[in-house]
Amino acid sequence: MTLIYVACLIGVASAWFVTSADLGFLAQSLLIEPPWLDLSLMLFFFSAAFFGGVLQLYNLADRGLSLRILIDFAEADSRIIDTDWLIANYGNGKGLAWMYGKRIAGMLETNLVERKAEMIELTSKGVRAAAVLSAVRRFLRLEPPS
Amino acid sequence: MLTPVLATITLVTLWFLVFVCMHVFGLRSGRDNAQWLVRSYAASFAAMLASVVVLSMWCDFGLMLLLSVLVAALTSACLFVLYVPAVYTILTSLSVATLVLLRRSGGRLPEASLYDRFASRRIMQQRLCVLVRAGHLVPDTCGFSITSRGRAVAHAFAFVKRLWRLGPGG
Repeated sequence: MTLIYVACLIGVASAWFVTSADLGFLAQSLLIEPPWLDLSLMLFFFSAAFFGGVLQLYNLADRGLSLRILIDFAEADSRIIDTDWLIANYGNGKGLAWMYGKRIAGMLETNLVERKAEMIELTSKGVRAAAVLSAVRRFLRLEPPS
Repeated sequence: MLTPVLATITLVTLWFLVFVCMHVFGLRSGRDNAQWLVRSYAASFAAMLASVVVLSMWCDFGLMLLLSVLVAALTSACLFVLYVPAVYTILTSLSVATLVLLRRSGGRLPEASLYDRFASRRIMQQRLCVLVRAGHLVPDTCGFSITSRGRAVAHAFAFVKRLWRLGPGG
């Protein structure tokens, strides 16, 4: 994803440099001055569309728990579904434990936690991330004060 | 020199900060996140557009008004789509909740106890309640059934999953 982003960023920046500011048809009142601001805004809009749009859509489709529940409902043979069936058949029959296994695998991959025997332990990177996230959650009153 | 677009962006940034403060205040007061998020953003977006129009008329930007309004709306929308995923990650991510729980428990926990907590009936019931409140599911005597709105969302994302070949996902 990062490679795709960088490649596209180079592409749009190159397009900005090789084309005229008015694209041959825009009125003077529709041009952003100075040019550095025009370029900065274009890069910001592109980055927001990528990270807030495409990447979020990808993450939702790949990791969205609630969305996967809806898809399981839509694809099930039965019209009425109960919680036990969902826990056992979540993710096209893989089960809810499989879903959490993916989260653990993701945290192991990004070196936030490590597995020691039967224990899951925060790494130094995980400790720092958890400290920041705990502080934010406490500030939002989502966590009990420590 | 403060150009019309630079002045507009400054205004947009200020109004977005107002929105973030309002949203955080609402979260700290225990308001319903989704509803409060939309309402506070809609209010700050409307106020921001009004401020941009007033500024353009006051500074006599003339035809630049159209450009200012376009840039303001686009910049604000971009800030919003970057802000919302960050908020939802902190509020609902199971990985974030796991890291926070590990920290509260001295940095380590048995893997089985994490599964007991996060791959649990309670988590599933919480999500089902959220989906019912959003109008995607309706409770029934024997369980839940999907609404036409929920089915439309499910089909749209099933299509996106197939397009990216993401497998079961979730």
